[in-house]
Amino acid sequence: MRLPVTALAAALACATILAGPARAADPIKIGVSGPFTGGSSSMGVSMRDGVRLAVQEINQKGGVLGRQLQIVERDDEAKNEVGAQVAQELINKEKVVATLGFINTGVALAAQRFYQEAEIPVINNVATGTIITNQFNPPDYDANYVFRTSAYDVLQAGMMADEAITRGFKKIAILADSTNYGQLGREDLEKYLKTKGVTPVTVEKFNIKDVDMTPQLLKSQAAGADVILAYGIGPELGQIANGMAKLGWKVPMITSWPSSMQSFIDIAGPNGNGVTMPQTFIEDKTLPRRKAFLEGYYATYKVSKIPTPVAGAQGYDSVYLLAAAIKQAGGTDGPKIRAALEDLKEKVEGVVTTYDHPFTKTDHNAITRNMVVFGKVQDGRIVYAKDEDAKNAGVVRMKEKASN
Amino acid sequence: MHIFLQLVASGVAVGMIYAAIAFGYQLTFATSKTLNFGQGEALMLGALFGLTLVPFTGYWLMLPLVLVFGFALGALVERLGVRPAVKIKSEYGWIMATIALGIIFKNVAENIWGRDDLKFPSPLPEAALTFGGVRVLPMELLVVAGALLMMLAVELFNRRSIWGKAVVATSNDIDAAGLMGINTRKVITLSYAISAMTAAFAGVLVAPVTLTGATMGSVLALKAFAVAIIGGLESGLGVIVGGLILGVAETLTGFYISTGYKDVPGLILLLLVLAVRPVGLFGKAVIKKV
Repeated sequence: MRLPVTALAAALACATILAGPARAADPIKIGVSGPFTGGSSSMGVSMRDGVRLAVQEINQKGGVLGRQLQIVERDDEAKNEVGAQVAQELINKEKVVATLGFINTGVALAAQRFYQEAEIPVINNVATGTIITNQFNPPDYDANYVFRTSAYDVLQAGMMADEAITRGFKKIAILADSTNYGQLGREDLEKYLKTKGVTPVTVEKFNIKDVDMTPQLLKSQAAGADVILAYGIGPELGQIANGMAKLGWKVPMITSWPSSMQSFIDIAGPNGNGVTMPQTFIEDKTLPRRKAFLEGYYATYKVSKIPTPVAGAQGYDSVYLLAAAIKQAGGTDGPKIRAALEDLKEKVEGVVTTYDHPFTKTDHNAITRNMVVFGKVQDGRIVYAKDEDAKNAGVVRMKEKASN
Repeated sequence: MHIFLQLVASGVAVGMIYAAIAFGYQLTFATSKTLNFGQGEALMLGALFGLTLVPFTGYWLMLPLVLVFGFALGALVERLGVRPAVKIKSEYGWIMATIALGIIFKNVAENIWGRDDLKFPSPLPEAALTFGGVRVLPMELLVVAGALLMMLAVELFNRRSIWGKAVVATSNDIDAAGLMGINTRKVITLSYAISAMTAAFAGVLVAPVTLTGATMGSVLALKAFAVAIIGGLESGLGVIVGGLILGVAETLTGFYISTGYKDVPGLILLLLVLAVRPVGLFGKAVIKKV
């Protein structure tokens, strides 16, 4: 079944190589796919702007292999079907050599199989569903073309659960949205809690655009919950925070990373203060690399904070990783870029971390748990939730070799 | 008991949101037997237009401007989408036409305001009030009161003013009203204008409770349509009762059965009403002569 497609892709690849030398100075086309409008757009736009910034920097220094990088941006509207369309357009019409992006787990799962079949690498720089990098694992597939630079859900769920347990909470309520993202995250949470011998007192669901969270919150309250673990995106997480304020029920809320979205901060307002979430990146200027990145971002986009800092930083880093891989591959051939990513010789200094062999053949996740810290909403910004993290802000957290 | 009351209170607030939108369906159906399927978009445009005005005018001064905006919008929808279909006595043309206009409005809104969910500033304090242990946001009270006032105002207009009487006459028998010298075309335009006006008003009313954005209308309008069917498309009282039933059913199911099935009982109720009493709980059974 897969053979004709692979053959076709190989033929296409050959054609590209043959056409290559004649037009060596052509720009290298890189796809960028994310929601630039809609409820997830603060993530998508931050990611895109991070990507743009990195591409601009690389191009100013002469590009990669003497060629300029050119990004082809497409709005996938956070819709699975649009994401699949965008993927096909980027591959077949725009002929990108790799794609960066995917904010939404559902979109990633729907779209990345086209890249897999065309043997074009894709680096997920925001989407966190655990399954994303495992969709095309060998031996079922010859090679996996899907990479990631974000903290995947198993990491985040584990951190959220551990945080609740170590802070001494006994009765955990889980609230998760009904999308792929929320439900896969809920599964990860429940699985992890089980290994710790903890059963949540209640597990509730809510829909995107739900107006009223009263039933979910009352149920959690009636079950005696002393902490809420919530899995969702900004707007609905904001409604939960507002719903708790309405009911006058104050228990800590630990969420997956999207409560760092601008929409959460805007919608929850003061009710969002103190909400904590796992973060790979906090806006602090301790390191020269981060300082340069933040100042570049603020100046270029005329803002005083990144709408969703994590997405901006991960997007930025994903460009440098890809550029290093293209350089090492010595060309834009998909399988060669993939091989280069899996064995990256150059240390890439990004803003999240310094990437030293971030990927291997069997591990396509650049982030390990030790690299993720807890952030906290405080008066409209995300700051370090823990003093020791704030103190160690200048320490680059490197990937643990032994993990995964 | 306290939990039950809290659920009912929240359900009533949500239900009145549905009722306020459903009320608009009922207005146009009465005169022309057509509906504006872009009602959710009228609500959304009203809310976003209001959001744009608020920084300049404040919340209260913004209201009359939004009413004028909604009125004009409804008249436009009727002229563009409904009148041609009514003229040739088409049974279906207006369905697609109003849906099409709704989609166009949504796209326009996306381009003007973006597709982010925005927070609508609340005109009232955001701290909840407590009534015997039941906590209610001041804004929720305003939604209930505002929606009831709006419906009352429209009812009064229909009963007291000459234009209102023309609306009632047209809704009772459009042909007879025409023969009596009533300009039924103008009356239909008027009913559309008032319908979209109520939707736009509902939009600015609910926006501080829900979120504001180009897609805010779609889910609400669908629920409101269910409410209009349950209550009966002929009855103003019906949409209030229908809204309250649906809103309370949702919150109670969410708590006592499962939040995963929150939307199911309302729809089961809809199916039941259609099976047992297709004209709705408060609808009048009309025998259609062929």
